[in-house]
Amino acid sequence: MRRSAGLAVLVAAVGLVASACGNGVIDKSTDGVPPAEATGTLRVLLPSFPASNDGRKEFAKVVADFSKKYPKMKVEPDFATYNNLNEKISTSIAAGIPYDVMVTGVGWVQPFAAKRIFADLGDFGVTPDVIKSKSVGALIPAVSYQDRIYAYPLLADARAVALRISAFKEAGLDPNDPPTSLAEIKVAAEKLTKRDKDGNITRSGFDLAGATSFRQPFVTFLASTGTPLYINQEPNFNNEKGLETLNWIKSMINNVQKYGQQNAAQQPLVYSGEAAMGIVGGAIDCSEKGLGQATCDDLKFFRFNSGKEIEYVGGDLASIGSRSRHKEAGFAFIESLTQPATLDAMAKLNKKLPAYKDAANSPQAKSNPLSKFVAEGLPFAVNENSPPSNWLEMRFNFDSQLTQAVLGQKDPAKVLANLAGQSR
Amino acid sequence: MSATLERPSPTLAGPRTVAPGKDSRRLIRSQLRAGWVLIAPALLHSGIFIVIPVVFAIALSFTDYSFGDSWAWVGFQNYSDLFNDADFRAALWNTILYAVVVIPISMAISLFIALGLNQKIRGLAFFRTAFYIPTVTATVAVATIWLWIYNPGSGLANGFLSLFGFAPNSWLSDPGTALPSLMVVGIWQGLGTKIIIYLAALQGVSRDLLESASLDGAGRWQKFANVTWPALGPVQFFVLITSIVGTFQVFDLVYVMTKGGPGTETTVLVLDIYQNAFQALRLGYASAETVIMMILIAVFIGLGRLLQRADVND
Repeated sequence: MRRSAGLAVLVAAVGLVASACGNGVIDKSTDGVPPAEATGTLRVLLPSFPASNDGRKEFAKVVADFSKKYPKMKVEPDFATYNNLNEKISTSIAAGIPYDVMVTGVGWVQPFAAKRIFADLGDFGVTPDVIKSKSVGALIPAVSYQDRIYAYPLLADARAVALRISAFKEAGLDPNDPPTSLAEIKVAAEKLTKRDKDGNITRSGFDLAGATSFRQPFVTFLASTGTPLYINQEPNFNNEKGLETLNWIKSMINNVQKYGQQNAAQQPLVYSGEAAMGIVGGAIDCSEKGLGQATCDDLKFFRFNSGKEIEYVGGDLASIGSRSRHKEAGFAFIESLTQPATLDAMAKLNKKLPAYKDAANSPQAKSNPLSKFVAEGLPFAVNENSPPSNWLEMRFNFDSQLTQAVLGQKDPAKVLANLAGQSR
Repeated sequence: MSATLERPSPTLAGPRTVAPGKDSRRLIRSQLRAGWVLIAPALLHSGIFIVIPVVFAIALSFTDYSFGDSWAWVGFQNYSDLFNDADFRAALWNTILYAVVVIPISMAISLFIALGLNQKIRGLAFFRTAFYIPTVTATVAVATIWLWIYNPGSGLANGFLSLFGFAPNSWLSDPGTALPSLMVVGIWQGLGTKIIIYLAALQGVSRDLLESASLDGAGRWQKFANVTWPALGPVQFFVLITSIVGTFQVFDLVYVMTKGGPGTETTVLVLDIYQNAFQALRLGYASAETVIMMILIAVFIGLGRLLQRADVND
């Protein structure tokens, strides 16, 4: 009798704890419910609003716009960073409370679409033609999986190459005729590299902007030879061009730039004069609070061209969770995010470009010479193109194995063959 | 003869005896019940937070679960894939190397320092506190400080070595020095706990035996080897086991300082598990890795027990 009473108390206690843990997390579906009557919490994961007062203020404007349509719904933001995006998404799925709206980057869409974590935006009328007419057409492969669209571009994260005019003149090079092919860049970089009496590099000739990861530089340099990393999710780098590119990176590291070099601010080294030439982001601050006008005047921007003129363009891409119980509200939230004024504000906050059709005439493009340059270069956009569905795994494989090849620990040809074999 | 050598009388020191019958059975039942009630919270905790996750991890290791909608049983596929995975092999090797280097060195240094702190020296309280501070400091903070120490441009390590004419080194980005640099931090950070444990054990070493050894003419080394060292046996085993578990689970230090690079030079098992599970979203694969790590820790603990037994038999 006593034993059964004790057991009953134990079961009741465990039940109470279990119900308390699960209580109130799962909302009722609002899909099909008129927006004005929909209630619940829209959980959004965004790396697009920095953790500053300005970032929070801009996000509040998005919520205010969304609330005009969905007045009774609450928005719960998670301001992640690109470094912890996967952890946030995976733990939310494991916990059974997946996000309703997720903003990710190039390379994320295919794996999450393959796992059916992202919803097909075709259900909301988003097609390649819609993106082509309203957004950056070059990002269509990045948001597509098996001919369907799983994300909508918010921002374009474009990269250019910059040189220091003074360094070029000092080395007897013409800054108005910058080297654009890999071979030309190497010759110029070697001339621009400065060393101390012991042979240590004191100024890099070229900043590959990889520090310890050569994945994105490899994608960029390879694309400049007219070779996309993947075509229709099939590897396209285990070939002569891929090997040439990897060997070129290998020949640059510890020759014109020391392996692992980066400054404390993790800013492009060409801005600080630690490199004479190198890859830079998509915006520059020429005010006295930023780099200053003198430094800006000493910079000249250009694009890689080893057979094809290119500009690496990543992006912030908004998706709806396939397990969301608020898909319609989620799409309405994406519509609020894509208001031109919102995209302009986000572009400024993130030093990127708004991913709308006429980005070259955006306030961001007009605000500084680098943004103007990269906005004009959007027709030359390249990126990983159409990575395979195991890209999240491949990112690490590329990071570690390319480094091993560059540092001479593994044979570059074998590394590329291995990476091609691992892509599936 | 001394009375302490005589076997104590069972009627004085043995358990309380109760006459057989109903009362004794009731007493035993009540003691049993009290025992179960007392260990129930610990059992519940272990069941929920240890047994269930372990069972789930083992089950997941036989699936291809990757946070998606569908999953399938894959048998031993994850295990066979793991042994063909160069990153896993590198992580396994680095972890074993890290453990094999860090554990004995940190134990030896800790014991040496504890012996010093067990003497009547000035500033004893300060030294004890100073040696324990790294243990209570958050690893992320510790790692950040060491990142500065190892900074190739303005770090303390290169600054100090330059006084002796050494060229600056990129400690954490040079494949040859990255893992040893982490080992140094691991050794330094683990000293505090070990020192405290050794110190407590040293204070429990019989003064009578030490005095007897002195009277018999034993020197410092002989006293250490024949009295102190055998007395530390159980503590050595405890320190060894906790060190094995601790070094096999090293993660935060590596995550903050190198992220496993350059290449896979400092990738350790827990970092690889973390990356596979939460960044590459391969939970089934990461679970297989976890199971292998559990087995590995068990093997190392078993080896530790064997060594301990051999030491006692000697």
